[in-house]
Amino acid sequence: MQKKAGPLFYVGLSVFIFLVMFPFLWILISSLKPVSELFGEKAFVPFTSDPTFVNYQSVFVNHPFLTYLKNSLIVSGVTTIYTVLIASFAAYAIARMKFKGKTVILGLVLSVSMFPQIATISPIYIILKNLGLTNSYIGLIIPYTTITLPLSIWILVTFFRKIPFDLEEAAKIDGASIMQTYWRVILPLAVPGIFTTAILVFIAAWNEFLFALVLNTQEAYKTVPVGIAMFQGQFTIPWGEISAATVVVTVPLVIMVLLFQRRIVSGLTSGAVKE
Amino acid sequence: MSDHTSKPKKKRKLSESSTAYLLIAPSLLLILVIAIWPVIQSFYFSLFDLRLNNPTKSEVHTSHMIDLQRYLDNYFLLEGAIDNELDKADQGNAETLNGVKEDLSKLDSSLLEDGKIKERYEIIDEKLMNLEKVGSKEKLVEVEKDRAEEIQTELNDIEEKLKGLDELEDPKAVKGLSSALADSIIKPNFIGFDHYAKNLTDKRMWMSIWNTVVFTVVSVAIELVIGLMIALLINKAFFGRGLVRASILIPWAIPTVVAALMWKFLYDGQNGIVAKIFEEIGLVERMATLLTNDTGAMFSVIFADVWKTTPYMALLLLAGLQTIPTSMYEAAAIDGANKWKQFFTITLPLLKTSILVALLFRTLDAFRVFDLIFVLTGGGPANSTETISLLAYKVMIAQSNFGEGSALSVVVFICVAIISMIYISLLGRDLLEDKK
Repeated sequence: MQKKAGPLFYVGLSVFIFLVMFPFLWILISSLKPVSELFGEKAFVPFTSDPTFVNYQSVFVNHPFLTYLKNSLIVSGVTTIYTVLIASFAAYAIARMKFKGKTVILGLVLSVSMFPQIATISPIYIILKNLGLTNSYIGLIIPYTTITLPLSIWILVTFFRKIPFDLEEAAKIDGASIMQTYWRVILPLAVPGIFTTAILVFIAAWNEFLFALVLNTQEAYKTVPVGIAMFQGQFTIPWGEISAATVVVTVPLVIMVLLFQRRIVSGLTSGAVKE
Repeated sequence: MSDHTSKPKKKRKLSESSTAYLLIAPSLLLILVIAIWPVIQSFYFSLFDLRLNNPTKSEVHTSHMIDLQRYLDNYFLLEGAIDNELDKADQGNAETLNGVKEDLSKLDSSLLEDGKIKERYEIIDEKLMNLEKVGSKEKLVEVEKDRAEEIQTELNDIEEKLKGLDELEDPKAVKGLSSALADSIIKPNFIGFDHYAKNLTDKRMWMSIWNTVVFTVVSVAIELVIGLMIALLINKAFFGRGLVRASILIPWAIPTVVAALMWKFLYDGQNGIVAKIFEEIGLVERMATLLTNDTGAMFSVIFADVWKTTPYMALLLLAGLQTIPTSMYEAAAIDGANKWKQFFTITLPLLKTSILVALLFRTLDAFRVFDLIFVLTGGGPANSTETISLLAYKVMIAQSNFGEGSALSVVVFICVAIISMIYISLLGRDLLEDKK
């Protein structure tokens, strides 16, 4: 279907992109409006005559938003590094070694990735509470493994399988041990795949909500999604602040997506497509 | 090592598989500890009446026990409180209070007759005196069922007697302490399948399952159709392809909570632009009805979900489309097949696996939906958008009823297992095959 695109195609495409991006644009405009223009007739005007950064200021001054960002960065960062490391060992073995029970293990990994989080949360909460690990970083990083480890193994196996097998044979003939082969030969070639996995794991950990909501209830340990969700008060919803906070969270993700879109797509679709 | 004969070769083969197991071990161990064990434990919890806000039910108990820490703490405080009251009590009250005091000391000495209790009693007494921490296992001593019931009756009697007293100096102290003391006896809270029996006849739980099914089926069906249309549309060479791909990735990349908040703002009954547009085009009667009416709320939730996850669906399908060789379409075109025929005879059959995989992932995600609804509607209005995960969360966390919440989460687990088994049997072993 490699057909050249006509002008009508571009019109349709532009409309589609506009519809996808519309909520973001609207939130961006709203975040720059003074509070008085967020209500009444002016709420429906797609521009503002009096742009202001007061909402942004309020996000950082009236809410511990920097703390939320710091917490999210630490939790997602550590989760990413440790999951990808452990998953890369397992994925290497599954993709390139001969042993019994491979299908069973892969099946187990796949089924764990389908587990509903809610079904694991009560024992995890109780045990972390007894260990005094609720409201801590490690208490969130460990449960995040449930989501990130199966995902990482699944993607990495696909990447490891793409590396030519002759390389290992050559290394073996040269007398390298399995671990040497892994560190010196395979790992350098797998860097793009590992990087892709890391991006996806980071996004998954950054966006996680249920565990963070249940396990870290103190302000000092809340992550960004929980922090933002709790902006809404009992009776009033500060839309200006919420819009500004949304923009603050979305912009880095937009940059990341623009930079790494090719990798993200290859990671998302790996394992889902038979080649 | 490798230039020796057959024997070392065999040895290396053995070491390859053991190295492999060694490499997999950390991952497997983690998966067992943080995913599989909790699911089994959830099922175990669901058989108990487990409530974190009730001291006698805050843990799983399979036998009768006495909580000596609670007993000793309250015993001495109650004794002191009774002495205080005795100083100022009138005659009638004094009689009862003295009687209670006697009952208490009788009960206490009868407890000390039991060697096992006595030993632990003294250890804990000393720890409490020195303000040391008592272990959660240490404070519990197992007692025979009959004996436990006997003690309970006596404690209840004491509570009853004190309850009947009027005109006390500090009635809250005496009555509160005696009722706290009566909680010292712990009964087994195993209740078998009662939580399941209760929920399977509960209208709210069936309604939440129905809501989840409606949400899942409608949103995934719409996402499949639109996703396939987008995939077909952008599966060609055109200018700015990377930019298009990036822009449709953005809804996927942002946190669901943030997307939900954005839509909540756009749907707002007074200031929401999307609500306003829906009103103008006649989709809703008044802006405010969008989130305050059953169908309106469900529609809003599905609409937001379609916006957020269709791109993901489109990308999975696009990757599948790209594996179909163009030569097949060329051959079909030569045979005179038109575009529609090509779609139904080439594209759809060859895309079957990709579609099933995309549907599997999306169906499971949709069935487990939590964040979106938690933020957007909170399950309302009148539970009309409450899904099964949200119900389990509310029972477990908001009501601290971990037993029943666990039972509901096991129900979610079973539903998810059934859904994935259906898809996997459709997919065959394709998914796990060791492809080379």
